Amino acid sequence: MGNLLPPDEGRPLVLSDNAQSGARITATNAAAEAQGLFTGMPVTDARAIFPALEVYPADSAGDVEALTRLALWGQRYSPFTRIEGEDGISLDITGCAHLFGGEEGLMDDLAQRLESFGLSARLAIAPTLGAAWAAARHAPSAHAIIATGEISEALAAFPVAALRLSEETVAALDKLGLKQIGLLIGKPRGALVARFGMLLVMRLDQALGQADESFNPLTPPPVYRADCRFAEPVTLLADIEATVKHLSRELAEALYKAGKGARRIELVLYRVDGWFEALELRTSALSRDARHLSRLICERLERIEERAGFGFEAATLAAFDVERGDAQQHGLDTGAPGEAEGDISELLDRFANRFGAASVTRFVPRQSYVPEKAVEALSVLEPIALQDWSAHARHLMDDTPLARPILLFGRPEPVDVIFETPDHPPTRFAWRRIAHRIVRADGPERIAPEWWSAAPGETRDYYRVEDEAGHRFWLYRQGFYERQGEPASWFIHGVFP
Amino acid sequence: MSSLQNLAALRARITETERISPQAWPSAPMGAAGIDAALPGRGLVTGALHELLPASHADLSATLGFGLGALRRILETRAGHILFVLPSFVAFDMGRLYPIGLAAYGIDPNRLVHLRVAKPVNVLWALEEALSHPAVAAAIGILPENDRAYDFTASRRLSMRAGRHGATAFIVGTRPDLGLSTAADMRWRIGAEASAPAWRTGQYRPGLGAPRWRVELIKTRKGVTGVWPVEWDHETLSFRVAAPLGDRTPLRVDRRRGGQPAAA
Repeated sequence: MGNLLPPDEGRPLVLSDNAQSGARITATNAAAEAQGLFTGMPVTDARAIFPALEVYPADSAGDVEALTRLALWGQRYSPFTRIEGEDGISLDITGCAHLFGGEEGLMDDLAQRLESFGLSARLAIAPTLGAAWAAARHAPSAHAIIATGEISEALAAFPVAALRLSEETVAALDKLGLKQIGLLIGKPRGALVARFGMLLVMRLDQALGQADESFNPLTPPPVYRADCRFAEPVTLLADIEATVKHLSRELAEALYKAGKGARRIELVLYRVDGWFEALELRTSALSRDARHLSRLICERLERIEERAGFGFEAATLAAFDVERGDAQQHGLDTGAPGEAEGDISELLDRFANRFGAASVTRFVPRQSYVPEKAVEALSVLEPIALQDWSAHARHLMDDTPLARPILLFGRPEPVDVIFETPDHPPTRFAWRRIAHRIVRADGPERIAPEWWSAAPGETRDYYRVEDEAGHRFWLYRQGFYERQGEPASWFIHGVFP
Repeated sequence: MSSLQNLAALRARITETERISPQAWPSAPMGAAGIDAALPGRGLVTGALHELLPASHADLSATLGFGLGALRRILETRAGHILFVLPSFVAFDMGRLYPIGLAAYGIDPNRLVHLRVAKPVNVLWALEEALSHPAVAAAIGILPENDRAYDFTASRRLSMRAGRHGATAFIVGTRPDLGLSTAADMRWRIGAEASAPAWRTGQYRPGLGAPRWRVELIKTRKGVTGVWPVEWDHETLSFRVAAPLGDRTPLRVDRRRGGQPAAA
């Protein structure tokens, strides 16, 4: 899979990996198969048969990645898609086929697109996952459709390996001459279970539609989703924006009817060549406002034109983290001065959208005396309750007015000090190579770390000091002079107005 | 009609034509009568653009301190959210906003949104967007030293946005001189001044008094420019004109300043 190598179908080419027993073939092209080479064959044997064989290392991680990408691309047909083993993709197209002109129409469309990507694929549509799996791998034609009621007939001729069984089970069945599925249908179940375990019977029942099989899609399917397909591939930003507006309206309407709002929106644009561009954004409040959503998305579309390639052919807009609730509805009174008490979540969403959620923050108080731990900056996308800041500030400052700086350094910076007596504030200090003579000082204010996390040397004595020019600083001394092994050092931690 | 009435009518007409904003926004009294008298509408103009410049590179914290005071005064006339925009490398150099210090200023951190941006031009973009929102009371942006994005056009845009919606914009410069003319409604220059000494028992050196600055109104659309020694009163959350020299300590001679007595 993939188009790293120019496909030269004329010459035998294989991929190999290093198994315990030496390099073995993991994939072959048609020309190599024609030479009698097959998957699982040791590379040395293959070279003996065809000395000019081209061998490339297999990239199984890359295969899985490409397969996953293709499965995600498959979401243009149905939101329920997943990868099957190492070489397949399944789509649950229940209720989707009519959008593409029935099952034949969908299969033709899919086959045509995959072919244009340069992929050779075997496709099958069947009423059950098991039957489709079997038909895609063992049907005589590359495009098979099994109708309801024809499952057992269609499966009968397939080898037992088509039932998704382990190699040992297949080998054991083979030994008994049970080579086709047809020979298993109608056999006494008790004997089969006793001999081959539950799995065989379960797989058979699942393939025949007599037992349910759960389908865990690659990504959780959204409940609310709007999509559209373009008649012609779209490349212009203006056209994409128009589509986004249209989809947002549709999605917002669906959310509104259900009385719900979403916190996460995802736009996926499907490119003609099987690539897709996904764009995810979060909102700080529940939202179902079409204008807001389309604006948020359009602000992120700047570079989408460059990535359009030969154009986008379909788009979906899906809502996630959907909750019931009164989403903010702006519409009638937008811009009215009476809204002054209103919320600014829309504005914050746009900032978060443009600068990243971590760059737009609110502060919350934390129960700690240690200055840098007494507050925390949280992204505005996280729900924060109103806080009692004045109580927190009063508690920390202990009635000393303006005892905390307005600017705090992320990392306290060391300063050189000159002092007269160890327990008094210094008389001079030098910070960033500028000397300051201290003429006013308040302190010390002793701040010790919480006893449970304490390393004893980390007790700090804070001083508020002012130099001759009137600049005010927050200095602290860490450690004590009189104690051995805990050398005192001075830092600046903040500045006062 | 008397000449006085004539004059008043004429004044009203001129104000009408001069005004950009469709609405007149109330002025926020600073609390210091001496300064308020010099200001148009007897207070800080709101719904307008203020530029705050430090008198020297070391005065950024003083500039911000005066700005926070002005912000507190403006919140009296208009409640709402406050946006602080800081370029990330400026924050690295001058420290981060500390909400507990702000709470002591009477600014509720619940209403505060802090935005960190990488490029100077984004400071202006974010300010403009914030000023257009009806629930925003004020937006403060700090310009990095090497900023080139802030010019006459940018200031004009900010001023007009502020005028239209009533929110107040503050541009805090990190350089003493912007070196250009802008459309700001008021331009202030702030320098730190020694605070009044506060003697406390058990201390052999005086403690810090209320924060004091030398505040210079360099430019104003209307009103009168001037220089005032200003103090922040944390009890009334307002400014006051500082009493000159309430200090009994003998004047010291500061050798670094060429023999001039140090301001007390």
